[in-house]
Amino acid sequence: MAKKAGHYTVVGTRQPRLDGALKASGRAEFTDDVVLPGMLRGKIVRSPIPSGKILNIDTSKAERLPGVRAVITYKDTNGLMSGSDKFLLCENMVHFFGDEVAAVAAVDEDTALEAAELIAVDYEPLPPLLSMEEAMAAQAPALHDFMTDNIADEVTMSFGDPDQAFAESDYIREDEFSVQPTHSAFSEHHIVLADFSLPDRLTVWTPIQSSAIIKSSMASNLGLTDSSVRIVNLHTGGAFCGRGGDKPHHYIAALLSRKAGRPVKIMCTADEEFLVYRGGGKYKFKLRTGVKKDGTLMVMDADLVHDCGAYMETQFILLRFVGSNMQALYKMNASRYLGKLIYTNNPPYFFHHGAGLVAMRFAIDSQLNLIAGELGIDPVDFRFKNAVEKGYITPAKFTYASCGLKECITKAARKAGWKKKYGKLPAYRGIGIGCGMLRSGGKGMYDHDNSSVFIKLEEAGKAALFTGLPDMGQGSHTTMAIIAAETLGIRIEDIKVVAGDTDVTPYDVGAISQRGTFTTGNATINAALDAKRQLAKTAAEKFGVKPAVIIFQDRKVYPKGSPEKAVSFEDIVYATLHSDEGRYVMGRGFYNPPSGQSDMSKYEANTALAYSFGAQIAEVEVDPETGMVKLLRMTVAHDVGRAINVLGVEGQLDGQVFSGMGQTLFEECVMEGGQVLNPSLLDYKLPRPFEVPEIERIIVETSDPYGPFGAKEVGQGPIQCTSQAIANAVSNAIGVPIKELPITPERVLKAIREKAG
Amino acid sequence: MRLPRFEYVRPQALEEALSVLAQSGSRAKILAGGTDLLVNMKQRTVCPEVLVSIKTLSELLMVSSDAQGFTAIGSGANLTDLAANAGIAEKFPAFIQAVRAIASKHIRNMACIGGNVCLDTRCWYYNQSKLWRDARERCHRTGGSVCHAIKGAARCHAINSSDTAPVLVALDAKISVMKKGENRLIPARQFYCDDGIRNTILEPSAIVTAIHLPDGNGAGRSAFIKLSMRRGIDFALCSIAARANINGAGVTDVRLVLGSIASMPIVLEKAAQVIMEAGLTQSAIEKAGEVARTELGIITNLFTSAGYKRQLAGVLVKQALNELKGKTAKRGGAKA
Repeated sequence: MAKKAGHYTVVGTRQPRLDGALKASGRAEFTDDVVLPGMLRGKIVRSPIPSGKILNIDTSKAERLPGVRAVITYKDTNGLMSGSDKFLLCENMVHFFGDEVAAVAAVDEDTALEAAELIAVDYEPLPPLLSMEEAMAAQAPALHDFMTDNIADEVTMSFGDPDQAFAESDYIREDEFSVQPTHSAFSEHHIVLADFSLPDRLTVWTPIQSSAIIKSSMASNLGLTDSSVRIVNLHTGGAFCGRGGDKPHHYIAALLSRKAGRPVKIMCTADEEFLVYRGGGKYKFKLRTGVKKDGTLMVMDADLVHDCGAYMETQFILLRFVGSNMQALYKMNASRYLGKLIYTNNPPYFFHHGAGLVAMRFAIDSQLNLIAGELGIDPVDFRFKNAVEKGYITPAKFTYASCGLKECITKAARKAGWKKKYGKLPAYRGIGIGCGMLRSGGKGMYDHDNSSVFIKLEEAGKAALFTGLPDMGQGSHTTMAIIAAETLGIRIEDIKVVAGDTDVTPYDVGAISQRGTFTTGNATINAALDAKRQLAKTAAEKFGVKPAVIIFQDRKVYPKGSPEKAVSFEDIVYATLHSDEGRYVMGRGFYNPPSGQSDMSKYEANTALAYSFGAQIAEVEVDPETGMVKLLRMTVAHDVGRAINVLGVEGQLDGQVFSGMGQTLFEECVMEGGQVLNPSLLDYKLPRPFEVPEIERIIVETSDPYGPFGAKEVGQGPIQCTSQAIANAVSNAIGVPIKELPITPERVLKAIREKAG
Repeated sequence: MRLPRFEYVRPQALEEALSVLAQSGSRAKILAGGTDLLVNMKQRTVCPEVLVSIKTLSELLMVSSDAQGFTAIGSGANLTDLAANAGIAEKFPAFIQAVRAIASKHIRNMACIGGNVCLDTRCWYYNQSKLWRDARERCHRTGGSVCHAIKGAARCHAINSSDTAPVLVALDAKISVMKKGENRLIPARQFYCDDGIRNTILEPSAIVTAIHLPDGNGAGRSAFIKLSMRRGIDFALCSIAARANINGAGVTDVRLVLGSIASMPIVLEKAAQVIMEAGLTQSAIEKAGEVARTELGIITNLFTSAGYKRQLAGVLVKQALNELKGKTAKRGGAKA
């Protein structure tokens, strides 16, 4: 690991994804491809109103329908909760349009659908609370009977002395920003296949970001031991922070299976996707920032209200994450934060692209542009001046062992031709910069952040890498194969990745919080080193030297300094496996970053060892008559520490520019009456490849001292920069601040009109 | 999503299809490409008992020129084939532009022109799953008496988002409609109705067999522009088909027809009049755009506000007229 870039054989090359050909040729196996003997199809009966009382549920007709094998309601759930505030199946209240009320399992999907429609539920509708304002009004009734108001959670954080810092500021600016609800539009719908036909054995096939979380949650909620639950996570069609853990459909399938004594599959239909998915909710930021005349950032004060929908899910994490990351990108003396989660009768929301940080960065970086404008400072210079650096410790105690933010800003500005363009573009053309950061590590979900990896060597000099880290499309398995190949001195094609079955694969917290490359990557190195140690014993005996001097390189093994004595890696593996003792080679590696545990009273801790940074510059063209924005070009610089797979990093950068552009210019769940008005891929305006701009990529490598080969995340980091870059460019093009996402043509036109008076 | 149960019939000849339809009446739906119908069936907005497949009827696949100066295109013509038909593109560029703008390549591979001409109207409050629709008071279209899209409206205002409909109206096309024992040729403008529920005059037992486009006298210029949120696959926020005869005598027979903005293509008479009086001058084009905005009646507000759609209408009128003007200049230049 002491090697410098350029000295690696596999790390830093351009490797196509291991699953690429499988997916392109339709051979990759997804959960829906699994068909078990006797398998039933399940359907969920959902609330057709956003708020109301359940007066009666009559399941008799459904139960009498031929082909129906199980019907469940609240009575079958033993009071089971899904999260802290939601009954798995509603008892006597429904809180959102789509709330789970009952479920059926039948021999085929048509019968299940028919049975679901035969379940008669009588409701007494109640007036719903559909906006945060309504829910926070003094006279508003509490949505949940265990609450006295609708503030689901509230957090205050203060670092330094904000009052003093405001007093010392020369210029103070206050703005409000809002972000509308969004949807991930997974290519693979929510799906689960559960086999709970034996009482002490539950197997669940489902796409998920963390097998560990769903396994322990389902075990404890269903009264099983951890080892009685097996999670099988095959190929996964997208996650984007939205498939973190267990959701109601997982439990419903399990309970149906237990009752029917058969495996049950539930696949959400296209229209259900918008009911099941817990997407990015609505955010409102009130932001007050103080600066010195020379552009030195002094202090920020943010009020966030976030519509968490009818149930809190894990949004309390988001609330804290936003507050502790607020001062993590630019240096400042102090900050204050008040975050509130508000219950409404909208669908429950969840994380989307980095747990609230995308919305927060949009607000902060947009306001900084306005401040730079007022002070007459170039936005790039303004960011550079205040950018965090290597060695910096944030007020929340994030400690930057590596940091390429300034390098990203400088390189992006140069490549984009900022100096030639800023302020000099023709009318309705604009350029804007946005910066972002994100941690690599998942500490906080548990008191540990473990990843473990096995590497088993096989006769022909091949290796099987066992990991509990899923690959949802980000290419993590290819990354692990590269890391293992580099460490073992073999080729990527010599590595086979075995993943996604908790009966087989070792423990891993999962693909959450940008921990894959960093944490599982380090575990992979350790497993490969362990395997090498076992092989080195054979080689040392053969060469008559100490194991410590054995070199593994280019599929050859030799004593240090004597490459002419080299024998093939394959021969050493064979000799070990066929040694007199029958030495079986299984490398075992684990890694738990010694990062800090956040103190829930002060919220101060270095909860990850590595942080990534980025800067993006957008160029746009606005049609002043239609308000339509065309994103012409994005220049993307991201500090990934080290690019393990250059092709993979580029894919992540492109993908996040695409998603970020979608969230910024196109995508919005238009809400009315607690319903999404546009719950389809036709009407939810997810962009298509036609809309992808020209993308200039700059990979910044700062070689993080803790990262595997110096690598950090490129998971959801790049998208932390995109919205504000585009918004600032649009603002630059039309001369009006942009304070709401998405920037739809109508909003642009309205802004232009208001400016014109 | 699952299809409801239905009976599937595949007649071997047009006559047989017409007989089946005559017997089944409103219990039947015609299945050709199915790209719109099957989605609607999955959402249970339509649940026909019988699907009559006309995909293999050779009578609907003809493309021919007739003695009256019309080019007839069979309603079964596949959209991908049609989009690639150079002969028709040469004669009717705006029509082919509209065909190419329909949905996506994959959908055009399945769909036929008859389906787009007869495209059912859409509304955000109607084209939803049953669960979704059931959450609201019944609207005009689901057996009630309210309109969720335009509060207080006395009728259904679902939108006709066919890309080809405004072109057919602008070009004075005729639509051949057959039912058992009857064959009619109906001007496109009379084919469409200002009604979100029943947006064409087509009876359940009738089939559109062909569209007839007038070849014209060589002086005609036409344009089609579609504005949508994204390229690739999207219904229009607003579209326009424009045509005019341009010759030495000036500009005559100006047609400006908006699509995707109401239950039927909207013919802008006043805006067209501006051009017929003043010609394609820059000031007349500007004025026509302004007139178009005020000429529009009630506009359904899906995804955008009615005011924004009005703005787009004005913009499209100007763009289309400028395109006609540009085409004239180019042709004139070529001759000189």
